[in-house]
Formats: sequence, C-alpha cells, structure tokens
Amino acid sequence: MVNKPDRLYIDLKSRPLYEKLESEPFFKGKTRKEQFLFAMAVGFKNNIKITIEKREGIFLTKDLKPEDEALINAIAIFDANSIDILLDKAQVFKIVEEYANGGIQILINKINSIEIGTFEKYFEKDLFDLNKI
Amino acid sequence: MKIDKIILKNYRQFNNVEILFNKNENQDLHVIIGKNGTGKTNILNSINWCLYQDEPHLSKDSQILPVVNLKTIKETNNNQLQKVIIEIWLTTENNQTMLFRRNGLYSIYKDENKVIQQTNYLEIEYTDEDGDTKFLEGDDADSFVDRVLPRRIREFFFFDGERLDKYFKEASSQNIRHAIFDIAQIDLLEKIEKRLKSLSRELENDAGRLNPEIDNIRKELEKYEKMYENTTLEIDNCNEQIKIAKEKIKELTNSLLGVPDIEDLEKKREKLKTKIKEKKDFKKRKAIEKQNLLFENGTKLLVWDCLKNIIQIIKEKKDNKELPPTHDKKLIENTIKNKICALCGQEIKGDSEKVLTNLVNKTNIISPEIAADLLYMDGILNNFEDRVKKFYKNIKEITEELESYEKDIMQLEKDLDRIEKELSGYDIEKILTWHKERKHFETTLDINNQKLGILMAKKDSSRKNIEKLEMKLEDELKKEKKLKELRIHLDFCKKAYEIINKTKQNIMIQTKEEIMLETKKIFFQLIWKKETFKDIIIDDEYNINLIHSMGYECLGSISAAERELLALSFTLALHKISGFNFPILIDTPVARVSDEQRKNFGNVLIDISKDKQVILLFTPSEYSEEISNILDNKAIKYQLKLTTDETETKLEVL
Repeated sequence: MVNKPDRLYIDLKSRPLYEKLESEPFFKGKTRKEQFLFAMAVGFKNNIKITIEKREGIFLTKDLKPEDEALINAIAIFDANSIDILLDKAQVFKIVEEYANGGIQILINKINSIEIGTFEKYFEKDLFDLNKI
Repeated sequence: MKIDKIILKNYRQFNNVEILFNKNENQDLHVIIGKNGTGKTNILNSINWCLYQDEPHLSKDSQILPVVNLKTIKETNNNQLQKVIIEIWLTTENNQTMLFRRNGLYSIYKDENKVIQQTNYLEIEYTDEDGDTKFLEGDDADSFVDRVLPRRIREFFFFDGERLDKYFKEASSQNIRHAIFDIAQIDLLEKIEKRLKSLSRELENDAGRLNPEIDNIRKELEKYEKMYENTTLEIDNCNEQIKIAKEKIKELTNSLLGVPDIEDLEKKREKLKTKIKEKKDFKKRKAIEKQNLLFENGTKLLVWDCLKNIIQIIKEKKDNKELPPTHDKKLIENTIKNKICALCGQEIKGDSEKVLTNLVNKTNIISPEIAADLLYMDGILNNFEDRVKKFYKNIKEITEELESYEKDIMQLEKDLDRIEKELSGYDIEKILTWHKERKHFETTLDINNQKLGILMAKKDSSRKNIEKLEMKLEDELKKEKKLKELRIHLDFCKKAYEIINKTKQNIMIQTKEEIMLETKKIFFQLIWKKETFKDIIIDDEYNINLIHSMGYECLGSISAAERELLALSFTLALHKISGFNFPILIDTPVARVSDEQRKNFGNVLIDISKDKQVILLFTPSEYSEEISNILDNKAIKYQLKLTTDETETKLEVL
C-alpha cells in the first residue's frame, strides 16, 4: 500500500473562495474540513473535477473521522470504478481534492447569484428535488 | 372708570415712560407686547405698587433687582438719593378725574451695591362732585384707594391669564366662597359678630362672680362651646378636603376620559415583548438545528447515488462470499513462489501448486486491506442510509415548528403593534401619574368621609350638651334677682348675635345668587358655542356647575378657552356686583388657549372692551396670527423694547 498522505490539499487559488464561504450564514462556524467535504459533495454531484495547479494544505488527515473517510473512499471507488483504489490513498485523496476544487467554485457562483432568499432555502429545495429516498 | 395714562419714572425697566390709554371709537382695548424681560409684567406690578405699595407679580429675576431703574443707578453718584414715581391718571363715569401718585425715595450706595428705601408715600389729587380739586396723602390716601378698589378684591382686576385657566380647576368652591365673601364686604358684620360673642362672655363672667354655680356652668359651657367650635372647624376642614378630593377625582377622571388603561396596557406590552423574545429565541435555536441537519445530511444526499452504489457493491461481495475474503491472495502467492506453505512451513507437492495457482488467478479475491476498508465502510454507510431516511421527516417537522413559531411571533407582534398604537400619542408617564393621583384622592375621600361621620356625631353631642347647659344657666340666672339687669343685657347680646349671623348668611346667599345670575348672563352673551351649554349653577357648597344642553355637568371636559371664558365671566360678574368699575388688566391672557380657540377668545375680549377698559399684556409669540388678526384693528397697540445695554425699556405706539 502506498503511504497515506498526512493532509488534504486545495488549489492555492481556491483559498479566497473558502474564506468567502465563511461569510455565508449557512457555513458560519463550520471547519475547513467540513467546508471541504461539502465542496467535494457539490463537485461530485455536478460531476466536475478540476485539477489542482498549486497545492496548499487545508486540513490534516488525522482530523478525518471514520464517517468522513467512508464518504471519501466511496467517492474514490465510484470515480475509479474499482475498489482497488483504496490501496492508493494518495490517489483517493487526489480524486476528492479535484472534486472539492470544482465544487467550491460552483458553490461560490451559486451564493453570488442568489438575489432573493438565502442559500439555505435554495439548498433545502435542491435536496427535496433530489427526493431520492 | 378708565385709566387715561400711567407714568413710570425710574421704576424697574422704565426710566421715564408715559403710557397713554386713548379710547378707540367703539372699544377701549389696549394691547401691550413685550418680550420676556422687557418689563411687561412690571406694568401690572407698577399699578399694585402705586396703589398698595407691593408688587405681587414680581418674577424671580426682578426680585433680586432694586425698584430703582438700573440706568438711573448707573448715572447716580454714590450716596445720592433718587426718586421713583408711578402716576395713575383715572377718569370716572361722571368725568371726575383722579391722580394717584406714589413717591419712593431711595438712597443709592454704589460702593456697597445697595439701594435702600428712605420714604414711600401716596398722594392723591381728585375732583369732587362739585368740581373742586382735593388733595389727600397718608392714611386718608390709603382709605381713598380702598374706596376706589379695595386691596382684597384687586386680584379680580389685575391678574395673570394663568389664573383664569386655574380658577375653576383647583379647589374652585374655596375660591368662589372667598370671592363672594370679599365682594359681599361682610367683614364689618364679622367684626360685630365677634364683639357680641365676647360681650356675652364678659356678662356671663360678671354673673359668675355673683353665683359660683353659674361660674361652674359657664366654665362647662365654655368647654363644650370650644369643643363645638373646634369640631365645626374640623368638619369644615374635612368638608374642604372632601371637596378638593372630589374635584380632583372629577378633574382626573375627565383627563383620563377616553384614555386607555395605561397600566394594564403597559403590563400587557411587557408580557408580549417577553413572549416575542422567548419565541424568537426558540425559533433561532430551531433554525440552527435545521441548518445543522441540512448541512450534515446534505453532504451525504449530494453523493447519495454514489453511496447507494457502494452499499450495493459491498452487499454483492458479501452475498458472493467475497467478503469477508476466504483466501489471502498474498499468502498463496508467497506459498507458490517459495514452494513452502506460508502457514505450516511444509513443502508443497503434486497438484497442490496447480490448485493454488488456479485459486490465485481468480479475480474476485479481495486483498485484506481493501476488505477491511469495505467492511468498515459497510457499517457506516448503512448507518448513513438510516439517517438519510429520517432526514426528510425530521426536516419537515422542524420546518413546521419554525412556521408555527413565525405565525405565533407575527400574531404577538400584531398584538404588540395594536397596543403600541393605542399607547402612542399619550404621555404615558403623565397618565400613570394621573392614575396614581386619582387613587390617592380616592383614599383621601374615603378617610375624610369616615372622619366626617365621627366629627358630626361629636358636634351633635357637643350641641346637645351646650343646649342642656344653656338651659341650666338660664335657670340659675333666673334664681338671682340681682342678675336681672345682667340677664337683660345678655339676652340682647345673644339675640343681636343671632340676627347678625343670619344677616351675614343672607348677604352671602344673596351675593352668591346675584353673581351666579350675572356670570350666566355674561357667559351666554360671550360664548361662541351658543347651543352647547344650558345653565350655570353655583350650589350651596359654592361649587360652580356648567350644565351641558344635554343636561349633564361638563366643567371638567370643556376646552381651556371655554374654561377661561367662564372664569372671566365670573370675574366680570364680581366687578358688576361689587360696584367697583375699575379697568381689567390681564397679563398673558391667552397663554393656555389653543391656537384655534384664540380667535373666539379674542372676539370675547373685544366685546368686553365695549363697556369696560381692557388692557392686555402679551409676549410676541403669544400674540400669534390667530389673535392678532382679530385684535389688530380693534386695539391700540404698544411695544416694549429693551435698549441695547438692557438697562431701560422704551415704549412705542404701533
């Protein structure tokens, strides 16, 4: 098994986007890890992966909880279409980092485009539209 | 009678001013306008100073200043004398002239910053019925003033407009009783009454010296009479307190008429505010709960397709017995490679290698690391599934709760808004004070009513004892022949006392009736709302009642202008009944009257000035457009202006 990286990365250019996210009430008080996982989910949902050009650490892997790792692993398996990807944690992380990099940009665009209402209201509606359960 | 002119020399702001009160064709109306500090009110004081040697309307600012004009003081050498003179020139209805001149001589001690009065005397010059000029001074002059306008009734001729506003507001029955007493001029009867009483005492004393029993009875009688007198005074005082309390309750009730129950509304408002805050806090907490639920589950729901897929993969692998793995691929590969079993260490022989190679070539064997990850994920992902399933239900419930809070808050805010609208426009502090004051007067009324009952019983018992003792005394007096003459005198005194007392009461009642009728006549002649009121009654307790055309008493609910008109009518009635036809001088006559009512009040003053000289003192702001439009063409106007060094006021006729 390839050595597990000690941190997850974002693109240096995305740093201001994460900072901006803090000003949105829905993300107020959320950790960088939580922001990252949310952005990752948005990127995955929209099937947008953007390669990271210049890496910058965002949080340490020791901060990942089992359920965070389960989520990350699931996305990586789905993306690689192979469970063997789990043997290469660096690749697993690379996949989710790229999804997060795509997701954060979608998220900020969405927040910026809201004129009436709140992000929370739109997000709630989106979740109900999914109505998959 | 009219004032032709007033001359003010060295008096307060006036260095040398002559005010001529020439009559217009139809009205004898004069308006003096002056800013505060120009000496407007001191014109009122100058008349009082001239006639009675006092200044009852002196402002706090003027009280610390000397009577002598400041400019005069400035121009006077130290230790010099200066004269202050006020002259009032009058003409009577019979064209007799009168000049009242008060001379005050003052020493100016500039080094000590003191002005000390040396002499002060009144001189009067008048023409009698035969046209001869007469001169008076000293006590004769003072007596003459008392005949022209007695000191005790001057306040009905020279007064402040505020007095008109307050006259029927504060203890009106007391004011009316005093006014009628003053006007009726029954003080002479009062003196006779007192004298007769003391004469009776002296005669009884003489009788007591001749018969000790009489002395004992008399002493006993005196004790009860004293008790009766004191109780009567206490009853009067109690009645006065009751009247004041009743009037105050009536006045405060009228003030509170139509005003909501502020205390109750205030409590409700505070309660609503607390409730709104509580609901808002609950809502805030629920909104945070919802936000966290959305955030947590949102991440999973966004990737739910993926998670479902992985759950399915793991399930399949478990169904196919690939999970947990039955073989360790690496262990088999090592065994084939080393030809020695990695578990038992024995050499592999025969078909074993072939069997092992077939086994290792099977693609579905999962490595232990991956298997461990997948099995671990399996538990967590299934747990996700449970949570996500509950998510929609939970979020719906929280949303409904939030909507319910919102609805409650909206309703509460609506209620609060309604209360605040109800409260807006009211001086809450003032209204609460009114409520408090009313409660206080209600308690006073209760206490005094109880006290009155006790006092009445005490008075009755004293009266019975007095009657008993008087009979006893009478019997004793009859026993002694020597006392016959004394008895005749004593009987005379007692009878005379009774007659005087009755006469006094009759005069009071008659004067009251006359004043009531005259007040009514003047009021209904001057009032601008001809149909609103029906009658004016001064009852036996000297309370004035204004009767509305609908039949109810309405003094407490009329406007300030109407109330002032009633007081003015009463004042003019006093003038008429008293027979003293002195001019009327009012300082700030419409200060309490609202703008829209000033027009009506202005017309009233014009009407009055047709038969009586009226002098009005205004500040420029009080002489507003509403009143000036009415008075400008009818009155002669004067303006008081302070010189730049503020030591002297000049008068201009406008």
